Amino acid sequence: MAIINLKKKEVQAKIVYYGPGRGGKTTNLDYIYKKFRSRIQTEMVTIKTHGDRTLFFDFLPIEIGRIKGYDIRIQLYTVPGQVKYESTRRLVLRGVDGIVFVADSLSVRRKENVLSLKSLAGNLASYKKSISEIPLVFQYNKRDLLNEGIPLLPVEWLEKDLNSKLKAPSFEASALKGPNVVETMKKIIIMTIESLRKDLT
Amino acid sequence: MAQQKDKDDFRSQVEDRLEHLFREDSLEATDERAGLVEHPLKGLKAVMLSIDWEITDSTMDSLLNEIKNVEFIYGEDKIILTFLQLLRSIGRYVKANKGRAHPEATRLINSVYESLERVALTEGMSRPEKEKMLLKEVSKFKKLKERVMLRKAEKQQPVASEGTPPPALAPESKEIRREETPVWKEAHEEPRPEGRFSEMSPHEAFAYALEEIKDVIRAEFRALRAEIKLWRESK
Repeated sequence: MAIINLKKKEVQAKIVYYGPGRGGKTTNLDYIYKKFRSRIQTEMVTIKTHGDRTLFFDFLPIEIGRIKGYDIRIQLYTVPGQVKYESTRRLVLRGVDGIVFVADSLSVRRKENVLSLKSLAGNLASYKKSISEIPLVFQYNKRDLLNEGIPLLPVEWLEKDLNSKLKAPSFEASALKGPNVVETMKKIIIMTIESLRKDLT
Repeated sequence: MAQQKDKDDFRSQVEDRLEHLFREDSLEATDERAGLVEHPLKGLKAVMLSIDWEITDSTMDSLLNEIKNVEFIYGEDKIILTFLQLLRSIGRYVKANKGRAHPEATRLINSVYESLERVALTEGMSRPEKEKMLLKEVSKFKKLKERVMLRKAEKQQPVASEGTPPPALAPESKEIRREETPVWKEAHEEPRPEGRFSEMSPHEAFAYALEEIKDVIRAEFRALRAEIKLWRESK
């Protein structure tokens, strides 16, 4: 749930990058942080294990600035993708306002994508939120690997597996190299702020 | 009507602000990995990138095949060949152990490749400079071998009192043994009873998540202690 302070005219929204382990959630935030550090002027917080995996979450706050009299702040989070951290993922989802589902395009990860989306739906339901109602954007990551001869899932399959009912906006992306990383983030921010807008009037 | 206009205004202001914050015009691209279009290491680099994402039998086989290709190209260059031998040894170890491989192994494989790329691509680099880079990687490789041996020994003898002498290291072999299957199987990898979570109060749920984090931190400390022990022994 976004924090909206009508008196101070401040809005703070929480967006969570969700998806299977090793799918590129942290890499999305890393890319944004490294590329735009000079403009966003905030610090990214990340807690990793010895093996360079996300332990609890990554956190990147972004000040959007004043719009229609409101100071708007966005907090980008990732969840740890490894299966064993289900309860941590659930905690990070508490109060979420928008979701980016980072799907792994590798052919061998098809099942993990579907399981992760199911886990997202279940975790949101535990907070009485519906995956079909919350602002949601799909990102089909690692598309750059197609040029390197690595077997990837066709986008049509990903759409069918994950997005056939939800019909959410989706992007083909490469979190490592950058294409559509920013577009994905812009889209979810716009959708999330729009969904909160009714509370601001 | 007015409400719709207000909505459109609001949206366009958000879009403008995001456009301003995240415009890409004056910023340099951050892809530092481009630029090997026609180079002999191109194939090897592609495999290294895929290993970055996923370690499978198929990616590791590709790595070993690419190493052979590059060996053929650089058949006369002993420094490059030694770099490739290092890559092959670590590659075989990672292939055999995959997710259970020592976390340093994947870092080292990247580090060896980066040094190899620098040695192969930097024009005018002197032979002593190249040798220095090679020795650095060889030294890291030896340290990794010691850590792997130590971890294996610790696994075989998990509970040791303070008075117990540390387990003897296996003698150095030319390659890390394939049958080795260290170590990282922690108790917390067992599936947790998910059904219970929904019945928990927020406090209980938090405590539950905290317990998971503690498990991982304990494992991190175990690895750290093993490394400190190794460092003390080497003094």
